Amino acid sequence: MPSANIAKNCKHDFLQIDNEIKEIAKNDKMVILPSSEAWKSLPWTKEYFNGKPKGGYFIWIKEQVDFPLSTCVNIASPNVKQDLQNLMVIEKGIKAKAGVICSSLKNNLSGTHKARGKLILKENASLEYNHVHRWGHNDNVSPDYEFILGKNSSLKYNYSNLFPPKNLDIKNKIICGEKSSVNLNISVNGIDSLIKIKEEVFLEGKDAQAVSRLKLVGRKRSDITAESSIIAKVKSKGHIDCQSLMVDDESKISSIPLLVCESKEAQITHEASIGKVSEEQLNYLRSRGLSEKEAIDLIVSGFLSV
Amino acid sequence: MNLLKIKNLSVEIEGKKILDSLDLDIKQGEIHALLGPNASGKSTLAKVIMGLSEYKVKAGSILFLNKEVKGLVPERRSKMGIALVFQNPPAIEGIKLSKLLEKISINEVREKEKYSHLLERDVNVNLSGGEKKISELIQVLSLNPKLLILDEIDSGLDMNKREEVVEILKREAKEKKMAIIIITHQGEILKRFNPDKVSVMINGKIACQSNDYKKIIETIKKNDYAKCKHCKKL
Repeated sequence: MPSANIAKNCKHDFLQIDNEIKEIAKNDKMVILPSSEAWKSLPWTKEYFNGKPKGGYFIWIKEQVDFPLSTCVNIASPNVKQDLQNLMVIEKGIKAKAGVICSSLKNNLSGTHKARGKLILKENASLEYNHVHRWGHNDNVSPDYEFILGKNSSLKYNYSNLFPPKNLDIKNKIICGEKSSVNLNISVNGIDSLIKIKEEVFLEGKDAQAVSRLKLVGRKRSDITAESSIIAKVKSKGHIDCQSLMVDDESKISSIPLLVCESKEAQITHEASIGKVSEEQLNYLRSRGLSEKEAIDLIVSGFLSV
Repeated sequence: MNLLKIKNLSVEIEGKKILDSLDLDIKQGEIHALLGPNASGKSTLAKVIMGLSEYKVKAGSILFLNKEVKGLVPERRSKMGIALVFQNPPAIEGIKLSKLLEKISINEVREKEKYSHLLERDVNVNLSGGEKKISELIQVLSLNPKLLILDEIDSGLDMNKREEVVEILKREAKEKKMAIIIITHQGEILKRFNPDKVSVMINGKIACQSNDYKKIIETIKKNDYAKCKHCKKL
């Protein structure tokens, strides 16, 4: 299992294994708490949580930090059910970077990872959020995230899932304020998985901008449905790019870009394609000594990493 | 002993005959030039020796180290020691040359250090013609081949780079007794290689062969390929 040593080898600002919090860093410039404690000790957080949280983390970056934030939530035991509510707040003008890992440490744990998250970027804040998922074959995973972007803030959200669970249900809702910008890159490698992705970007503030790039791979009886929408309510710009790769005939990909325009001054566009692995690339790599499977794996990893 | 022995090889693409009862022998360490006009079947022959899937072998045999390779997949042939430098290698986005080399390398290639800037570029993506050829060369030499087929290695190379590439190849051929098939429609690069043997391909057949490449080039310059059509040996 590729992620087996993630928890052991890395130092994290927040580390949870199964339903036990193992590490929480202390830092003068930010507050990190279990969400349940934030709910109790910081009443203002209640408006962002969806009821009293059972699990998850609260991270409040109050001052500029010069290192990337790191969180890790793992499943290590069989049949674990995680129900997380994560809240991250980035104060005005702060530029932050976060590495977020959620994974199973073995292939056969049949775990459930349910994560509801809210990220608040205040005025002029910026966040690069690198979200990596690695799951076992029998896991059920449903991240449901909402990003609220204040005036002039910017978000770069990279989500990568090269080792998918049995069931994956991703929901992302992004609300963009005035002159804010969001750049979403979502890469999912479907391997014998049922995957649903629903991504909605609301351009609510004047001159907001959004680019959403979705890369999907269908392999080994995967069934993937990806709905990606931009709703422009005011003068703003947005673009959706959905690219998919079908590796075999047993999989199915439904790629559904949707544009909703409520302002004549908004410019929103989309492009979508579903293709197959190039024979030319395959032949080339096989002539270099790679087996057909090794060549396909390499082509797929390249496709998802761009 | 012949390293490669092709006997009576006929190949079709979509019902059209591209190679027609072709015979060709290559010895270990031999540098063999394959000349011919456009569409004579030179590149097809290279791909068929490598075992690329779009070609259907209708008849004949391809013996490599005395073993029939006709039904073998390209990776098997690669592991036996056949390598091909592609004329137009495909771009593979998201895969750095260093990552590809990690997966395929059997042999450490001296030129890797000199061209380290290419290692962090995606394979054949936005490379100049010369850079692509160097990238190809690093890849195939890392496979430690016994037979290297160069399909139009000189295209896209300026004179300095061409000399460098030839010197690298001659060095490898000498040190490792690697045979080389040089496919070209220009004679220029042959002056640098000084091949042991030249074959001229016309309409999917070897029309003539000689040990004197200069004489062949001279004849082609004078008569185009017209005279080659009528001779077996100059």
